[in-house]
Amino acid sequence: MASETGESIRPGRTYIPWDDLPVQRETVAGIGTVLPVVVLYLLIAVLPVAFAFWASLHDIHTLNPEWQWAGLANYREVLNISTFWGSLWRGVIYMVGSTLIQLSVGLWMALVLNRITYGQKLLTAVVFTAYLIPTIIVSLVALRVFDPLGGVFQMMGAEWFGLWGVNEAPLGSRDWAMELLILIGTWKFAVFVTIFTLAQLRAIPDRFYEAAKVCGANRWQMFRDITLPRLMGIVTVVVLLRSVFMFNKFDIIWQLTQGGPGNATTTLPVLAYKTVYTDQAYGLANAISVVMFLFLLASAIIYFKLFNPSEEVETTT
Amino acid sequence: MSQSEPPGGVFGLSYDGETRIIEALKLFSTAIIVIVGSWPIYWMAQLAFTDYETVEDAVTIFPTPDIFTLGNFSVLTDPVMYTYMFNTVVVAIGTIVTVVLVSLLAGYGLARLDFPQKENFARVLLIGYLFSPIVIGIPLYQIWQSIGLLGARFGLIIALSAISMPFAVWLMWKFIMTIPEAHEEAAWVDGASRWRGFRDVVVPQCRPAIIAAALFAFALAWNDFTFAQILLPQTDTTTFAPGILRAMGQAQFLPDAYLMAISLAMTVPPLLFAYFMQSYLLQGFQVRAL
Repeated sequence: MASETGESIRPGRTYIPWDDLPVQRETVAGIGTVLPVVVLYLLIAVLPVAFAFWASLHDIHTLNPEWQWAGLANYREVLNISTFWGSLWRGVIYMVGSTLIQLSVGLWMALVLNRITYGQKLLTAVVFTAYLIPTIIVSLVALRVFDPLGGVFQMMGAEWFGLWGVNEAPLGSRDWAMELLILIGTWKFAVFVTIFTLAQLRAIPDRFYEAAKVCGANRWQMFRDITLPRLMGIVTVVVLLRSVFMFNKFDIIWQLTQGGPGNATTTLPVLAYKTVYTDQAYGLANAISVVMFLFLLASAIIYFKLFNPSEEVETTT
Repeated sequence: MSQSEPPGGVFGLSYDGETRIIEALKLFSTAIIVIVGSWPIYWMAQLAFTDYETVEDAVTIFPTPDIFTLGNFSVLTDPVMYTYMFNTVVVAIGTIVTVVLVSLLAGYGLARLDFPQKENFARVLLIGYLFSPIVIGIPLYQIWQSIGLLGARFGLIIALSAISMPFAVWLMWKFIMTIPEAHEEAAWVDGASRWRGFRDVVVPQCRPAIIAAALFAFALAWNDFTFAQILLPQTDTTTFAPGILRAMGQAQFLPDAYLMAISLAMTVPPLLFAYFMQSYLLQGFQVRAL
């Protein structure tokens, strides 16, 4: 791709015989550019996962630096504890439920935001803010409005709709905790879908629609034949990302319910965290996170085989 | 449109009738988005400006003059809260700078330079998305502890940068691919080095992608709870999110109105970002198929 640069020879520089070396100058420069990424990636992704795998083969008390070899015992324990399968199941419910709602809400918001004429910039900013403000603030507001003492949503739900008792905390109830977690998460994370879809919608040239109109297409046909195909690529990628992110979600669950009441909202990340800091079983927690990673990897491979978002990734300019 | 008969709509409606229905649906949807989107922010704001004793006792809708107060914002000068916010700002800026620099360089390399396995390299980066912050955070706790980075803001900056990296690198790569290479070649012909070409020709044209990557990194750092909770156990270096949760657990009395005041202060920067940067942001994400 790149052509020779025709650099002038600068005096006082060490002469490097590039033409005699077994590697090309461009290869060295190319590898040099990605080197910082590689270092960070090794340090933050590869090393911890290798470490987690190694630790998962040991019996480790969190506060005790002594490691005891345990072989695969931690894995046997993981697959045998009932909380693991329950957490996996709740995690899948949380992931699928959140992703589906976020996808539909996100797409809908993008389509509407793309069409409105007045106050578009302001409304887009308000919507985007949801994704940018710290999760903890979303949680604080949610905790406040669902609080039995003066929480406005708690009051409305109890007095107007009879969803829960007057003194009952919905976030602490087995019936409502999971549903509310999904809804509160949707408020924040649906915007992720909106940002990407809106960017795609803006990229469709107007002349496509004008041409379709001249040819006598109605709005549904325009949507089906112009808008939808343009969105499909990004939607497959966004669904993958959102599912992975929601499955891995720890912060909003911990902040709102800490996995409770009981284990009603304990998903795998919460279970792993509790295992480290409540049960003090560092090795077992690492076994849980390794299993979690393997589960995601398997799901991602299946997803790639089914929808092949990477094909979409390759068809670039 | 130079045609006599506008095309017919769905359900046998005329084109104009259909337009009216779509307009109505659009207005209705906009109303819902306005209410649902701005409601929590409004609620936070109104509680922040309401006298805290009133907030504890009753549901308020609007801070009328008799209960209006700016006193809740005094919590911002509380040394502990101030430390939390200061740390969050430091971490966010550090993450943005690291992510932009590194991804710009790597994006350029992937787009313009030829080296073996580069496509596979980019693909392997994507696997990084599968690591849950918990999966990485729990081992990092021990690793950071043994090399002395535990409790250091720098350690958190590295961790957060690495998390937003795969995405930012892909974004830059795809964006630089859309810039014609001829622009650089012209600079080379004029005697510029590759580095000069990159700095003076490519980087200025990358502005939308830089802003998109920066905003993504900002959202990640500003949002982060999990890493900070695990990697910054001490109070004096921790960031806002875990700090406030700990403060709520420890404080005898931390009024909700104070929490909302500090939340509002933390919401203003994202709101300003979202308002002033949105066109760049959308342009940056327009690159096909991230």
